[in-house]
Amino acid sequence: MSARIIMKLHVERRDQLDDDLVRIWLKHPLKPHLPAWSPGAHVDLRLEDGKIRQYSLTSDPQDLSRYAITVKRENDGRGGSSWIHEYLIEGVEARVSTPRNNFVLSETRSLLIAGGVGVTPLISMGQALNEKNLLYAFHFCSRRRQSNVERDLKNFCDSTLSTYVSDEPKSPRLDLVALIGSLPRDLHIYCCGPKRLMAEVKELTNDWNPKQIHFEFFSTEIDENYKPEPFNVIISSTGQTLRVPENHSILDMLRMAGHIIPSSCRQGVCGTCECVYRSGDVIHRDSVLSPDARQNRMMLCVSRARGSVTLDL
Amino acid sequence: MGWTGKLLNIHIAPEASYEMEELAEAELVAGRGLVGDRYYLGRGTYSPKLDCREVTLIEQEALDALVRDDPPMQGAAIKIQPFEHRRNLTVEGVPLNHLVGYRFSIGECILSGGRLNFPCRYLEQLLDRPVFLPLYNRSGLNCWIEKGGVIRPGDEIVPLNEVTSKPHR
Repeated sequence: MSARIIMKLHVERRDQLDDDLVRIWLKHPLKPHLPAWSPGAHVDLRLEDGKIRQYSLTSDPQDLSRYAITVKRENDGRGGSSWIHEYLIEGVEARVSTPRNNFVLSETRSLLIAGGVGVTPLISMGQALNEKNLLYAFHFCSRRRQSNVERDLKNFCDSTLSTYVSDEPKSPRLDLVALIGSLPRDLHIYCCGPKRLMAEVKELTNDWNPKQIHFEFFSTEIDENYKPEPFNVIISSTGQTLRVPENHSILDMLRMAGHIIPSSCRQGVCGTCECVYRSGDVIHRDSVLSPDARQNRMMLCVSRARGSVTLDL
Repeated sequence: MGWTGKLLNIHIAPEASYEMEELAEAELVAGRGLVGDRYYLGRGTYSPKLDCREVTLIEQEALDALVRDDPPMQGAAIKIQPFEHRRNLTVEGVPLNHLVGYRFSIGECILSGGRLNFPCRYLEQLLDRPVFLPLYNRSGLNCWIEKGGVIRPGDEIVPLNEVTSKPHR
């Protein structure tokens, strides 16, 4: 499991990139340097009501004097982005965790595919790949033209950038079938965007080595047909058994039993409540663990089990 | 015991997991903790557990040993700054492990040793450094506050050579 330090940062500046897109610059009020991070990393932002949201860092990882996050106002979202747009203005305090990275870049030639605000983690990744001559191409799809974001991308990958704007009739459309069909098979593909885009990339790369295909999720898929069943959790260090009813998570039951378990998104996307299990038939319902990691790790906030699972706690 | 130690740093955090903040002086309140600290406010990671945690101390000498990679248990030297270890007070010249069950003074305040602090995986996660093993048996001392008051870095710490009536183990 991974807990993170929470820092009280100050909003230094806001750049309104579009009507519904804002870049927020954050500085530490006392320390000249913020904790280091790697391309693709995100931070947790605590909202006023204590809820937590994840945002990719969109600044330069070499410049630790400040962080930037880029937030799109999602009017039909869970309320976090609207609060940020309204209240996170210059001079106010923002409670921000140290960075975490679930979307780690390999040192290998890679293709980046971004949809909408899903471009945020890919900005620093594209920059890092380009510096090492490993950026194969950057494809960026958006509904409206995002001139400010495009300008940032062109700063480092002008020759490899392709943009697709669905509201502009003359703009080209991204043909994923043709694109993926033509790619050298040694590439890694990093994709972040709407679920439909990621599902299509996943489908078209079904016959690729799964270790070469990487996705960053900001919300998890909900399977409406899934019916949670009760099961048992066994704590390996004590032998204690807890019953997890259908309407509670393992995380809930562990906390009720007095265990101190860090968690953040409660949707299976942030990786905070990751836990090693020793045995059991686990039903993985997260969007963060790789198939390899799932052999002995699970996310306690959403994943469940058939019968029982023994946790390494 | 005959020794005189010194208080080097004072840190508090307003809530569990929050960054520690350094203070130039702090008010200790008997039976509660350092004013403004998460355990004074009942918002610490371990606040729900009944335990001795009004104020926590750690030896600078233990932190210096980690920098020397002494003993070499974690593969490499580890530097932990006073704002990182999450104990309230960093002290020098104070044999903390000998103070369980004993009273001692810091400036105008009197503390008593409740129990040895135990390193936790939670701290390892927060720091992203393997500190669990190297801090074993030198992770500091959890104390009760018997007499409150104001403390400042530089205050002398001296043993009172008296057994406390507070719970200890």
